[in-house]
Amino acid sequence: MIRAELTQRRRDFTLEVEFESAGPVLGVFGHSGSGKTTLLHALAGLGHTERARVRVGDVVLGDRPGGRSLPPEKRGLALVPQEPLLFPHLSIRENLTFAPGADEAFAGEHGEKVLEVLHLRPLLDRDPDTLSGGEKQRVSLGRAWLSRPRMLLLDEPAASLDADLAREVLALLLHAKRELEVPMVFVTHRPSELISLADDCIVLEAGRIVAQGAPLEVLSRPKALGLARLVGIDNLMELAVVRHDADAGLTLLDLGGGAELCTPLCEVPPGTTTSIGLYAEDLILCRELPGATSARNNLAGVVVGVDPIGHEVLVTLSVGDVELQARVTPGAARELGLAVGQPAFALVKTTACHHLH
Amino acid sequence: MWTPEETQVVLLALRVALTVVAVALLPGLAVAWVLARWESRWSLLLRGVVMLPLVLPPVVTGYVLLRLFGRRSALGELWFALTGNHVAYTTTACVLAAAVVGFPLLVESMRLSLAAVDPRLEAVSRTLGRGPWATFRAVTLPLAWPGVAAGAVLAFARALGEFGATIVLAGNVAGETRQIPVAVYTLLNQPGSGAAVTRLTLVSVALSLAALLAAAWFGGRRRRRFAA
Repeated sequence: MIRAELTQRRRDFTLEVEFESAGPVLGVFGHSGSGKTTLLHALAGLGHTERARVRVGDVVLGDRPGGRSLPPEKRGLALVPQEPLLFPHLSIRENLTFAPGADEAFAGEHGEKVLEVLHLRPLLDRDPDTLSGGEKQRVSLGRAWLSRPRMLLLDEPAASLDADLAREVLALLLHAKRELEVPMVFVTHRPSELISLADDCIVLEAGRIVAQGAPLEVLSRPKALGLARLVGIDNLMELAVVRHDADAGLTLLDLGGGAELCTPLCEVPPGTTTSIGLYAEDLILCRELPGATSARNNLAGVVVGVDPIGHEVLVTLSVGDVELQARVTPGAARELGLAVGQPAFALVKTTACHHLH
Repeated sequence: MWTPEETQVVLLALRVALTVVAVALLPGLAVAWVLARWESRWSLLLRGVVMLPLVLPPVVTGYVLLRLFGRRSALGELWFALTGNHVAYTTTACVLAAAVVGFPLLVESMRLSLAAVDPRLEAVSRTLGRGPWATFRAVTLPLAWPGVAAGAVLAFARALGEFGATIVLAGNVAGETRQIPVAVYTLLNQPGSGAAVTRLTLVSVALSLAALLAAAWFGGRRRRRFAA
């Protein structure tokens, strides 16, 4: 679907990426400042990009340096910006038919479908000023679709909306993805959007790709520290490597106070530190040690916090020099009698401990 | 009573002012666009040069123009070769003097309104398939229109009132370069012409007021519908 090599150097930021995706929806995931918007603009041919080799399907859109580079209007990559930027001097109908040739698309079958999927019909004769944020974003999406693009570039289309509207726009995008069959590059910082919409994803951090693959795969095994923070990994620790056990496939890390954490074998030399991420839901708490188990970590600790959060309880366990957070149900917390000061054990699978770079 | 000479003065003034707007509009728009969208040391220099006539004494501007376009200057000779006419002390000189003095007002008003157009709207327009020129016509210009129109009106009004640069470059030739301010100044030195001065003053006040109201009206129009 899309293949791109982009390098853009600015005084305070460098974007340098290479990726290829079969799509049809490629998610670009990262926190603000990671270069997501810069990447979209470079794909669209907006602004100066030192190296821009972009191919969509069989069409070469940019081949710089050395080759030619199509201007934005010839690329067929319609941009849907984060804030729904409608042309304020045009009616909604005029906004929708803004692209050359869009009036025919609007009058035809494609237009029917776009109007229906995005519920645009009641808005047609309104003034952009009178629309809500969600309505504007629907028009912005429709305007992009009616330009019959090779591909849509969506720059966090739901980020500027409140949670309900964001869900609505996401549902529309899903519906549109099925109905209108246009490939998309979709930028987001919300894991849920990435999982529900993208078929494939790249993760950006400081202008570079730090992970790539199926969204669920990438999010459940975060390899980068920034990504771990972004997806809300509860336990992030900087621990020293004690030793490696290649036979067992383990690297042991120092938790302090004689406790060690078994993690998947890595290549960090003993004595140096490494970052570990561990989801709170991957911890099993128990009052006494169970028999033989596949979990390599049975960590003895003391409960130092029990905080109900919504329909869950976040239990903080002090183990060695670190504090681990475990997410359990209120029922489990009651049954175990978890209270501050109580001793407890945490069972952790080795593979639940993610090495972060 | 109202004399044919006075009619001549007022008509000449209007003709010169309209010509100034017609001649300066497109170059002014181009310069304003460059200043609004380009940030570099060079655009700062360009802005300085364009703004200079706003702060220079008009008589000095007139003298500089006289040196540049006088009969023995390179530009003056070039103009003579092209048209067979001299610049200095002709209606052309009136237009030139008023255009140069009014240019900063024209450009500044246009620059501000062009700079206020969100460049992201232009980016969206480009990715939707409209080239740079089509985007300028369909997005930038309609949105900047009030400021562009206000700039044109200000240049028109400034041309009606121009005296200093005009008197140096164009002189005081009846029917050729004698517009309202120069005519009033001439009449003031003639005994018994109080009524004529009053009449021309009233015309001048009326025209200037109308122009200012027009500029305010355009400036107040935030938005105007345009066929895309």
